[in-house]
Amino acid sequence: MNKIIILVMIMAGSLAAQVKGDVEVPYISYEIKMGEGFDAIQANCLMCHSFGYVINQGPQSKDFWAKKTKKMITHFKMPMTEDSKDFETVVNYLFTYYGNGKLK
Amino acid sequence: MQRRDFLKTSIATSAAIMGTSLSAGVTMQPITGQEVSTMAFPEKRPLITYSDRPPLLESPRSTFTSRVTPNDEFFVRWHLPDIPTHIDLDSYTIKIDGLVERELNITLKQLREDFEQVEVEAVLQCGGNSRSAFKPICGGIQWGHGAMGSAVWKGVRLSDLLNRAGLKKGAHWIGFNGKDNAAYYETPNFIRELEIEELNDHVIIAYEMNGEDLPYLNGFPLRLIIPGYYSDSWVKMLSNITVTHDYKSLFFMDVAYRVPDNETESETPQNKFKKTKPITNMNVKSIIGYPETGMKVYHNSHVVVRGVAFDDGHGIQDVLISTDEGKTWEKSLLAQEGGRYAYTQFRFTYKPTKYGKVNIMAKAVNRLGDEQPLAADVLWNHGGYKFNGIDIVTVEVV
Repeated sequence: MNKIIILVMIMAGSLAAQVKGDVEVPYISYEIKMGEGFDAIQANCLMCHSFGYVINQGPQSKDFWAKKTKKMITHFKMPMTEDSKDFETVVNYLFTYYGNGKLK
Repeated sequence: MQRRDFLKTSIATSAAIMGTSLSAGVTMQPITGQEVSTMAFPEKRPLITYSDRPPLLESPRSTFTSRVTPNDEFFVRWHLPDIPTHIDLDSYTIKIDGLVERELNITLKQLREDFEQVEVEAVLQCGGNSRSAFKPICGGIQWGHGAMGSAVWKGVRLSDLLNRAGLKKGAHWIGFNGKDNAAYYETPNFIRELEIEELNDHVIIAYEMNGEDLPYLNGFPLRLIIPGYYSDSWVKMLSNITVTHDYKSLFFMDVAYRVPDNETESETPQNKFKKTKPITNMNVKSIIGYPETGMKVYHNSHVVVRGVAFDDGHGIQDVLISTDEGKTWEKSLLAQEGGRYAYTQFRFTYKPTKYGKVNIMAKAVNRLGDEQPLAADVLWNHGGYKFNGIDIVTVEVV
């Protein structure tokens, strides 16, 4: 009887994943520069992606960050409008802390 | 990944950008040699890490010494943050609907038992692989060369599934959707659409990679395999196949993963080309796996340069090596055991006869005669796609 049970388990096991249970993707705490506008970053950007995405772009112009933010609104449907205070806050934060000093 | 490592890479990026003030877009050698993280993701060993959510992991250069990339070193790229953390293998189905005679819900068990099982060895490369070569910076992950790998994929032919469902008259487009989701309901899903004519018998739905279950982060339990195509179309955690007559307008088809629709597929940052096309077929490329930049080799020793080359399936004719800044090129030895979509391995015996820094360059030529340009001759495009410049590693002869 025991044998039969084991056999059945092996057969069912042929479809078992090599991962047992839930997969857990590690959390990385990126070093984020604190300052004016950070709350807006946390509430908007970090909803969809980690801070790694921001840092990975390297220091960029104000125009670059404005275009990126617009892309998030237009294509990824970040709930924000381009003429809002939040938009300005997000772009200013990115340019202040991850900017290259150039407007364009 | 440690913060310090990450800062190191971002500082390197910024140094490369800040030193230039350019009006035209240019290209150079991509940033390579980033350190692997100290943190391992599920089923992976520590890799070069750009983001945890969605997970973005790059394979180190050393992986380009093998024909098949080990599963635990295979790169990872997801687009949307919400990936299911559990897959119930008994209830998981792939749904085939739309313009079909019979709507199907196929379980994983049926997939393995009711269809012919086939294998294909093929290179999987992100369209933005090596993107860090492009200046000014193209939006997106600033990959080195490691957003690529090659594996033996096992599964069933897409055409067999479609035949079982029976295509109705007027069927023209096939949409593929996976289980990953965005944070906002309104955010577009990562759906790919392909024309039926694009899909040959080499296109499969795979559940196995290199003899094991697909790793979770590579699309467990099922992913689409389109040999010769860039990986943006290789949908992961595939759950829906929908056949339609008309093309549906979708962000990830209409905006992302497109290049200028002109002969050179190029443009300038100031004057972007209006008409674009999907990136589809991979161009010819080779990457050196060993040695790596910064390594020391002995004078008069026997160094074996190793690497991999591939294209979209036409096949690699030659991989040429130069150790004199491209003045002369010599043929390397090729091993082509994985079929036309797989990595061709090359090896080249090099005896360093002068001291100091030496650039080792590799240039692949395919059977059509297409060859890799110098990195500086790769023309700029806004998405930083399809970089295939000649790879260079710099070693020191001591």
